[in-house]
Amino acid sequence: MFPESLKARCLSRIVVSRLCWLGILLLFLPACKKDDHSVLSPDEIILNQRIRSKIQTLDPADVGDTASHGVCSEFYESLYSYHYLRRPHEIVPELAATMPEISEEGMLYRIPIKQGIYFHDDPCFPDAKGRTLTAHDFVYAFKRIANVKVLSKSWYIFDGRVLGLDDFREYTKGCSKGQVDYSRPVDGLYAEDDFTLVIKLQRPWPQLIYWLAFLPTAPMAKEAVDYYGPDIVKHPVGTGPYILKQWHRGIYLEAVRNPNYREVFYPSEGMPEDTAAGLLADAGKRLPLIDRVFWRVVVEDQPRWLLLMRGDIDINSIPKDNFGQAVSMGTDLTDEMKRRRMQLKLFDEPSTFWMGMNMNDPILGQNKPLRYAINHAIDREKFIDIILSSKGKCAYGFIPLIMAGYDETIKEWSPGQFDPQKAKAYLKEAEQLHGGPIPKLRLAIGRTGTVQKQTLQFLARNLSEIGLEVETELYDWPTYLEKMRNGSHQMFFSGWMADYPDVESFLSVFYSKNASWPNSTNFNSPEFDAIYERVSVMPDSPERMELYRQAQRIVLEEMPCAFTYHRIGYIIHHDWLENLKPDPYKADATGFGHLKYYTVDAAKRDTYRKTFK
Amino acid sequence: MTDLPTPTENASESVKGRSLWADGIRRLRKRGFARVCFVIVLIYFALAGLIFLDEVFGWNIPLFDWQESVGPSYQKPCLEYEWMPEGQEVSQKGWTIFGTDFLGQSTFRKILYGTKTSIMVALFASVISLLIGVPLGAVAGYCRGWVDDAIVWLYTTIGTIPGIILIMAFAVVLRSQTFFGMEIKGITAVYVALGLTSWVGICRLIRGEIIKRKESEYVLAARALGCSNGRIIFLHLLPNVFHIIIINFSLRFVGFIHAEVILSFLGLGETDKPSWGAMIDAARTELARNVWWEMAAATAAIFFISLALNIFGDALRDCLDPKLRTD
Repeated sequence: MFPESLKARCLSRIVVSRLCWLGILLLFLPACKKDDHSVLSPDEIILNQRIRSKIQTLDPADVGDTASHGVCSEFYESLYSYHYLRRPHEIVPELAATMPEISEEGMLYRIPIKQGIYFHDDPCFPDAKGRTLTAHDFVYAFKRIANVKVLSKSWYIFDGRVLGLDDFREYTKGCSKGQVDYSRPVDGLYAEDDFTLVIKLQRPWPQLIYWLAFLPTAPMAKEAVDYYGPDIVKHPVGTGPYILKQWHRGIYLEAVRNPNYREVFYPSEGMPEDTAAGLLADAGKRLPLIDRVFWRVVVEDQPRWLLLMRGDIDINSIPKDNFGQAVSMGTDLTDEMKRRRMQLKLFDEPSTFWMGMNMNDPILGQNKPLRYAINHAIDREKFIDIILSSKGKCAYGFIPLIMAGYDETIKEWSPGQFDPQKAKAYLKEAEQLHGGPIPKLRLAIGRTGTVQKQTLQFLARNLSEIGLEVETELYDWPTYLEKMRNGSHQMFFSGWMADYPDVESFLSVFYSKNASWPNSTNFNSPEFDAIYERVSVMPDSPERMELYRQAQRIVLEEMPCAFTYHRIGYIIHHDWLENLKPDPYKADATGFGHLKYYTVDAAKRDTYRKTFK
Repeated sequence: MTDLPTPTENASESVKGRSLWADGIRRLRKRGFARVCFVIVLIYFALAGLIFLDEVFGWNIPLFDWQESVGPSYQKPCLEYEWMPEGQEVSQKGWTIFGTDFLGQSTFRKILYGTKTSIMVALFASVISLLIGVPLGAVAGYCRGWVDDAIVWLYTTIGTIPGIILIMAFAVVLRSQTFFGMEIKGITAVYVALGLTSWVGICRLIRGEIIKRKESEYVLAARALGCSNGRIIFLHLLPNVFHIIIINFSLRFVGFIHAEVILSFLGLGETDKPSWGAMIDAARTELARNVWWEMAAATAAIFFISLALNIFGDALRDCLDPKLRTD
């Protein structure tokens, strides 16, 4: 007979051991779940997208990162969007019926809303049937952004712009969470009737139209926000072409075609080159063309590249470490990529990069010949060839090539041309003005990577060739910003990229009231300032374009910068993915809300997988 | 039968004892491979010294002029190539053993200059760490009590922080700081950071040695003669543990060279002058365009000095302090 204590101990061991086994079985239980991919219909057109970081939120008011923005744009739509094919970018109505009626002084916008648009079918609505979109949904969405308790990342859009909206924000500060009265009137934001939205501004703001094409200004159904509460970030209820089917955080998202999506058709006109590129093959077809979309979250570059090579994802950027494997001579695919029938899309970015000079610096600021000498010393073509592997175009001014306002003749008259002889002549003049040899100059950059180091070395070498000594300084971003703000810098390498197709933001870089940041050159010209103040409240017109060019001429006359290059972007995809036209205004280049235009040739994908797996 | 000296003969001859150093050097001479390694180390040091003097006195030795463009961008290593120098209309012929970089600068000359950068960093970092570690270890070991507790607490705390993280933190904090009117930047920040963070090992070692020796006869004799504590520590004890410092110095030197390479690779090192780490960092992206020679040359330079220093350091340890032998 076993003593009782020993027996009890044995029993407890058996129980513990069984519990352990049960735990192990439970661990493997999720793996036994039926694979969702197995229910796919063979006729479905499926797109395999990738995302470079985890999705934070699917609430437009909360979106603050590129990945969330990209995915969320497939579920929600805004009043306006950009024409998919036309360049320069052209604003076209999306949920709005027409372009806004703007009062003469530019302070009042009356926007008619399209009728017959429905929200996604969702349990938050009666009988789970999506209801009609009205102007009230926009009023609610904008007020929600203004509500302090929502903690929207997009309040900056409306801050100090819309009449009475700032007061509404103040009012929400005194409310407890969930007690905000959205029916409280706001003077500058209301629905005139169910299908007319009215916005009154505090002062003219012609850029409003671009913000109305921005995801955070998408309409929200109050029923959905009330129904889901804080979980609205996981339950997108919009009017977009896709409906979220499932979301495994950090792993993947799946979306299916919205069966109630209104009649939207593939554009039948674009740019002349679009026909040859096959971008008009689906003209007139009803959108979306793809039935189901998978977004795989792959954070690391290398696995993402390998998935592309296996044919498991359809599109990708080219990781730096794989650039040589994919692209030869900067602009063409390598033989290996051609064998895999990959497609490379190159496009001009709305960006300009320059070597800036601090106009408050006693050596550079008072010496125009010196700034001209520096400008003539930079070999832009060689810079692009060596440092950028040909992924750039020479810059002669700050307005990017693809933006309205770009001066086609700028190359002929801009002082920003590589000419060592002129540079040396100007340097002699500069030395006379300075009263002796120019002392060693400092050139800074706000990152410490290899490319940044080589950029500075290249520029320093160019300057040393005309007889200027330069010391290079690589700083981390906060230190660099501090240097810019306290004005202790001399020369620096920097750039600017537009978020929307309006040159106005480039002008802000030289506006005297923005001195130190973003106007790090501390350029100060009353004439330029007057133009900037005029164009910033001026509606789009040929006169405005002419003023942009005039402003550029003022800057080029003083040359506070050696404008160096406009960057070329690139993206790679499999040949089975069709209708992709890059959108240079978006960080991802595939654009936001563009998946509805894409289509996939599944037969080509199958052949590839059989050949290369 | 062996002829043994008779006690009378032995007593009549004066036998001269060998010092620790003479004994060590005699043992070292017997190790052929260690001598070869010593010569390699000497070559690296001589090169570094020569480049340093060239810079100080402005001799302008062409071999050390790494800034000069000697060929087109990314010229492969070859015995003859033709190129058009900037601003000239006649092409020139040239040859290159390790190719050229993106500016057409000679990789070989950059490797030579990188020797100076690495040796300087390792030398200064070693000196700084010894200047902190040795006196602190000696004082802690000799005084014991609360002084020992405080120093042990200090180095234990520093020792718990991962080395490279601590060095990076110091390098970032020190960069762009001004001390006594001098701005610390580039490579200065690297060796100051290395020196300030790497004294723990030597401090602990010296403290142990001093504790072991503080009750020795010669220390007791010095104390009996009325020598001050400072005199005993610095004039009696430290000379007797100096061989440990030398061994430690030689073995850690290679570690500092590696640390400089890592910091430069991470963008915290030299900004406008060549260094092996910066060259490897640059080569990382250049490999994508099949520019392999910069990576190969920098790696080879690091490999030879690391191997030579390691072998020589091990041999030095075995010869100067046979008790520390691990084999």
